[in-house]
Amino acid sequence: MELNIRRALFEGYRALIGSLRFGSRGTIIWDSWDMWLLEIIILPLAQISFFEILATYANYSPAMVQYVVIGNAIQTMSFSSVFAVANITSSDKWQGTLPSILLTPASRASIIMGRALYQIIMSTLISTTGLLYAYFLFGVNFSSANYLFLAVSLLLTSISMISFGLLISTIGLYMRTAMIVANVFLFIGLLVCGVNFPISELPVWLRPLSYVIPLTYGLDAVRLSIAGAGFYAVGIYLLYLVIDGLAVFSMALLLTKTFERLARKSGRLEIY
Amino acid sequence: MPENCVETSLLHREYANKDFFGRVKSTVTALHELDISVKYGELFGIIGPNGAGKTTTIKILSTLLLPTSGTARVLGMDVTRDLYRIRKNIGIVFGGERGLYNRVTGFQNLMYFSDLYGVPPSVSRKKVPELIEMVGLTGRENDKVEKYSRGMKQRLHIARALVHDPPLLFLDEPTIGLDPAGSRDIRQIINDLKKAGKSIILTTHYMFEADELCDRIAVISKGRLVALDMPSGLKKQVKDITLAEVHVYGDATPLIESLKSIENVSRVFSDMTGDRTIVRIQTPDGSDVLEQAKSAASRLNLKIIESSVKEPTLEDAYLRMVEE
Amino acid sequence: MSSGEVSRVQVVKASMILTARNFFADPQWVIPSIIAPFVFTLVSLFLFSHVNGPILLYAVLGGGMMGMWGTTVYGSGSSIGFDRWNGTLECTLSAPTPLMWIVLGRVIWNTLEGSINALFILAIGFLWFRVGIGIADPGLFAISTIITFLSLSAFGLLLANIVVLSRKGGFLTNGIEIPVYIATGTMFPIGLLPFFVQGFSFALGPTWGIDAIRKAAIAGYTGLPVSIYVDLLVTVLATVVYMALSAYFFTKVEKIAKRNGTLGDY
Ligand SMILES: Nc1ncnc2c1ncn2[C@@H]1O[C@H](COP(=O)(O)OP(=O)(O)O)[C@@H](O)[C@H]1O
Ligand SMILES: [Mg+2]
Repeated sequence: MELNIRRALFEGYRALIGSLRFGSRGTIIWDSWDMWLLEIIILPLAQISFFEILATYANYSPAMVQYVVIGNAIQTMSFSSVFAVANITSSDKWQGTLPSILLTPASRASIIMGRALYQIIMSTLISTTGLLYAYFLFGVNFSSANYLFLAVSLLLTSISMISFGLLISTIGLYMRTAMIVANVFLFIGLLVCGVNFPISELPVWLRPLSYVIPLTYGLDAVRLSIAGAGFYAVGIYLLYLVIDGLAVFSMALLLTKTFERLARKSGRLEIY
Repeated sequence: MPENCVETSLLHREYANKDFFGRVKSTVTALHELDISVKYGELFGIIGPNGAGKTTTIKILSTLLLPTSGTARVLGMDVTRDLYRIRKNIGIVFGGERGLYNRVTGFQNLMYFSDLYGVPPSVSRKKVPELIEMVGLTGRENDKVEKYSRGMKQRLHIARALVHDPPLLFLDEPTIGLDPAGSRDIRQIINDLKKAGKSIILTTHYMFEADELCDRIAVISKGRLVALDMPSGLKKQVKDITLAEVHVYGDATPLIESLKSIENVSRVFSDMTGDRTIVRIQTPDGSDVLEQAKSAASRLNLKIIESSVKEPTLEDAYLRMVEE
Repeated sequence: MSSGEVSRVQVVKASMILTARNFFADPQWVIPSIIAPFVFTLVSLFLFSHVNGPILLYAVLGGGMMGMWGTTVYGSGSSIGFDRWNGTLECTLSAPTPLMWIVLGRVIWNTLEGSINALFILAIGFLWFRVGIGIADPGLFAISTIITFLSLSAFGLLLANIVVLSRKGGFLTNGIEIPVYIATGTMFPIGLLPFFVQGFSFALGPTWGIDAIRKAAIAGYTGLPVSIYVDLLVTVLATVVYMALSAYFFTKVEKIAKRNGTLGDY
């Protein structure tokens, strides 16, 4: 019995390392140094600039312009947390490697987590660059920021957003449209998660989406940390974030199993 | 009109492997000073193992690739200069799964390429259905290509290369990956095209295919021309591996000894299976040697159960040439 | 033996039709290229909803422009890549027609697709945000739109080239989209941009095109300090320059392809 557990742990570890290596190669598109440059340096700058200028032109108050800058700095992590993660399955399908990966006896969760780990690092890195831009180029005030809370908020936001990316990638196991879904969710956060304006301005029918995507809570936690809010104020959003992240992750696992069964039934693993 | 539709002289091609900064790290010689000429109306085969330089040759002749040095003339024109005029008069078929627009129909693929080749619509509207008929796709022309079988795609590929009715065709491994029936269909089409007077250059690594179809064959290996002859001529080069075979009952040792002394016999091997001995005699002169073996056996009172002569195949010739 | 030139009109038309057929066979693939402009426009409309005056029309027109840009950039960037992916690159390259005309057909279709995308964005703006429909000068508006459309196609053609030449297709097509939205003033006047970016803006035909479109649509719109006719003239000039550059680069692309035996393997 004990041996079995140790073996399972060992196998889990091997699968995790293997998938981590795979994850670092990323998808087909995102695989070279220039893509890194794009993902970490250029895209965040472009996106923050666009909305900062836009907010200025729309006569936003300086405080609201800062709100927009921070929101976009964090949202850019979607490139690696949602888009890249959601694309993993479709790239497997595309290369025809999905059946061979699913054939390995490694547990689904360890494969998935191994891949996710790399993206967690990337996401945190991207948002950190975004915040550096916010400070150095867009004059966001960090004087009362609580860096410990900020770091924790960033990390938890990355993790939960990757869970969300996994949920979307799961759809790719079954549907032909994984790539498209990935694209939609890459940008939809801009609209519904309180990146550029509070969600109270959204029509009511769009708000449920806001509450599902972890970015909404992550943004609140990050903004409060930068503003220097206390433990309880930040903590409550971190709690929401963790709960939402866990819920989304369990959903992803559940759907993976269901879809895998369905896909095996209908023979769709190879189709793209 | 000159007699040859394709002429190459010292045709040479190297590929450069570059490093990260674009500096040349190493070069691969894909084609080494090739000299071939192909007559009008001829079906000319190029055979050779993977990486021999067959595709490179085809690409240079079809103006898709520049030679590093040397010259090639196609239909009397220089491949490095007259490319659009050459292209209008040649058709190219690449083997393999790809090369067609999968999401549109076979008919639409052919119409599209007709336009790219500048075929007037009034002509292509008549020509395309004819081609579809010729490659046996009638009834399926309005299905999307993604629904076609591998063999149907390959036939469509051939039709695609014919939309502008070129006098010269290049076929690069057109039967690769097809099942026997699919390959037979393609060979049939190639034969018909030859009968229709097209000049054809075909690469393949299926020997029986080259043997069955080609008037002349160039064997290339590692970018070099190692032989160029008619299939029968190539086979003659390995005449020495003709095998005469006799099966006898009992101890064949005296027979083997006497066979070894016959002129022209290069080797004799034997095999005991059950109660019989199989004696194989390697010689350039199969039937003659077989007769001598038969009389030697009757002199030694050995009963012959079976006898045969196996002529060398193109494959034997090929293997000998590319392994040397 | 046949000789004589292949008609360019025939080639452009054929390639446009084939691209359209490919699109209709699986139209969902347009979504990746429309989603960013669409969301960006919606967000902009939310941000502008506090502002009074014709700014909503301004934003909706800008959104339409982004929609066209998005599809053009994405489609052009992938037009050669599509053949490579599909395995038809050799067949396409071996046709007796300069590659430029084949790609032009594709780019025109992509821009058309972008226009439909733009109309969609306009419709959302009008229906959801109740942006007023009044177009000040419909005639000039139509002319400006058509000229801008052409300059977008020409830009797409140039881009398709650069993508192949630089071998960094993904980098360009993914990285250029938002900077182009910023530089061409789709959502805010380029006067708000840093000085060095403005230089880049003026080199982009569509910057002038969208200015002309807005001048024709919004009564009293100031925009760039020149008359609408100057805007249009510059747009046309830019289009001609892009076409000339494209022709030059395409010859280069074909030369490189033949020398290396491939159009960059990636
Ligand atoms: N684009 C290329 N870059 C570098 N080397 C190449 C390229 N294409 C072919 N080669 C090399 O040239 C040689 C001949 O290739 P090829 O003509 O494709 O052979 P074949 O068609 O006979 O299999 C091989 O060694 C191959 O690796
Ligand atoms: Mg080959």
